[in-house]
Amino acid sequence: MSGIFAKRRARLLAMKALRERYVPPENAVACPRCGQDSSHQAVSRNLYLCPRCGHHFPVGAYYRLGITLDHGSFRELYPKIAAQDPLSFPGYREKLAEARQKTGLSEAAVSAVGTIDGRRCVVGVLDSQFLLGSMSAAVGEKLTLTIEYAEKNRLPLILFSASGGARMQEGILSLMQMAKTSAALGRFDKRGLLYISVLTDPTTGGVTASFASLGDVILAEPGALIGFAGPRVIQQTIGETLPEGFQRAEFQMEHGFVDAVVPRPRMRETLSQLLRLHEKGGA
Amino acid sequence: MLKRVLIANRGEIALRILRSCREAGIETVAVYSEADRDALHVQLATQSVCIGPARAADSYLSRTAILTAALATGCDGIHPGYGFLSENADFAGACAQAGLVFIGPSGDVIRRAGAKSAARTMMREAHVPVTPGSDGPVRSEAEALAAAERVGYPVMLKASAGGGGRGIRRCAGPAELPSALKEAKAEARACFGDDEMYLEKLVLHPRHIEVQILADNFGNVVHLGDRDCSLQRRSQKLVEEAPAWGLTPELRREMGEAAVRAAKAVGYVNAGTVEFLLDPDGEHFYFMEMNTRIQVEHGITELVTGVDLIRQQLRIASGLPLDIAQEDIACTGHAIECRINAEDPANGFRPCPGRTEFLHLPGGPGVRVDTGLYEGCPLPPYYDSLAAKVMVHAPTRLEAIRKMRRCLEEFALEGFPTTAELCYQLMHHAAFVRGGCATDCLDAHLPELLDFTRHLSESEDENT
Repeated sequence: MSGIFAKRRARLLAMKALRERYVPPENAVACPRCGQDSSHQAVSRNLYLCPRCGHHFPVGAYYRLGITLDHGSFRELYPKIAAQDPLSFPGYREKLAEARQKTGLSEAAVSAVGTIDGRRCVVGVLDSQFLLGSMSAAVGEKLTLTIEYAEKNRLPLILFSASGGARMQEGILSLMQMAKTSAALGRFDKRGLLYISVLTDPTTGGVTASFASLGDVILAEPGALIGFAGPRVIQQTIGETLPEGFQRAEFQMEHGFVDAVVPRPRMRETLSQLLRLHEKGGA
Repeated sequence: MLKRVLIANRGEIALRILRSCREAGIETVAVYSEADRDALHVQLATQSVCIGPARAADSYLSRTAILTAALATGCDGIHPGYGFLSENADFAGACAQAGLVFIGPSGDVIRRAGAKSAARTMMREAHVPVTPGSDGPVRSEAEALAAAERVGYPVMLKASAGGGGRGIRRCAGPAELPSALKEAKAEARACFGDDEMYLEKLVLHPRHIEVQILADNFGNVVHLGDRDCSLQRRSQKLVEEAPAWGLTPELRREMGEAAVRAAKAVGYVNAGTVEFLLDPDGEHFYFMEMNTRIQVEHGITELVTGVDLIRQQLRIASGLPLDIAQEDIACTGHAIECRINAEDPANGFRPCPGRTEFLHLPGGPGVRVDTGLYEGCPLPPYYDSLAAKVMVHAPTRLEAIRKMRRCLEEFALEGFPTTAELCYQLMHHAAFVRGGCATDCLDAHLPELLDFTRHLSESEDENT
């Protein structure tokens, strides 16, 4: 008689397994690395890591701040700084409006002051979903003000980069931000403060060539593309096949551009440890 | 109070009526067909009378057989349950003529509530919202076109005497209307001998929400909250819940009051249900029809209100006034019912009667199972395929869903395929859990649910 309940139990377990594996097509997320579908829910619960292969999906700026800072400690800095259209570049205004609508952000960078395990710090995040996280004059200004805020308050600074480079619609004005942010970081460095740069996928162009590479400690997320010119451009220019994993975080670590590759679930504790080691009287 | 009641039905509802009768100290007479000799209600009734062969027309639908049995056993009342003779005005009249109390409204009321076009007019006069349409019958093509233009397409053409999906046509635009009208008229003439047509606006993606009412012989009418019966497969309800999810308190009050007005308009007596269509905008509701009987899903209203509806029916039929006032009726928590039908979802819901080889029913707090089955008892193929109703009651909707999942995990019925597993899957389906499904929701998601079952069978085959 008990066979009936044993059979039922097996069937219920099979249903449960299937339910968890089953992904309704409307909210499936395809992983670009392993090609398998996972449900949006499974991915979002897993810090936006592919539950099967651990591929790091890009995350929004506010989500990044949410998983980095202590709960309830977040206070946004300079939220009103947003890009203008200084060159009246054709189609730029529409692109900005569309990006704002899509992401709910006013610019590609979000800065905040908060605590990590109780240690106060200033965190800036670039959001790759806002015009590829490109650096406009406003982004540069926001980051410079953020650096200066950290300097003035003698707080450690953490910048998460994710960018396609300088924003081309603002021409030279956006390229100038490379110098401006670098100069601000130079002053910050003279005060003997800690700057941790975290490179996430993708960190390229003018951002790599300025503040992203100036960290006292440079961390990177696994698999992040890090470089100045992209691999396709390089391949076309030099006409050679590029080595496996070229410009990926692990490759850059081997070649000395990155200090450590830290997976997203361990990022917060790593940052916390670095802050502890570098604080006054820290050990 | 009635002394002896004949139960003119079978299956779980016969048992349900029998239980309330026994609690009220009323003797029961069960009638049964040859196929139901071993049925539980037959075994438990004070007396049982066999009234004919298995075919429903010769037994449960045979008015003379039932009336004869009632008179021969000295009954003073007949409870018709649902289906069979429950909404048969002539039978209700015949009972009255034979000096028996028909536990339900009188034949006249059944007739009034049943005539579709006339009911619409009556409801409009009672300020019960009806779907916009032709006010009264449409006689010509021109009249129909004008009425359709006024309410907006798509529209439905319906036969005034219609029912059971006959004499109904859907029109998406004015081009289709003339031919549809002709077809529907011909069908109505063939089926009902009357080709009077009326027209109403078709509400797209509506929810099916109904209000339970009780009315006594003294003009007191109360409503006992609403039920959402939107989860239907081809108009066959599968899962019901009470109260309906996501109604604003104002809308709920309006619907309850409209139901009471509707009942008063037809001079209703006894337990009944007023069915409404709720527009997906969640603001407009329209009178659909009135069911002049106890319904399959009455149990969930009993769970949330704590009122024994069958007992109230017996009281009202005995000529007693209602012992509850509208202010005493409070709905607490949330109740869900799953119908376990002896049907095979994998085979187009083909009815699969058979012998109950093994039966284990769920229990625990807030759980109620109504079934006429017991181990070894056959489920005959001649009647509807309802095997059991599993109902749960919990403080919130989500807790009720969890409880229902647990119950369906415990529920074990061997012997024939049932819809239990489909219900179990529905309890996990995002569309159901979210709430507020429309009547076309289940049909839309069915392929996906069946696909799931197929995958399950495949993965089980792999493991064995």
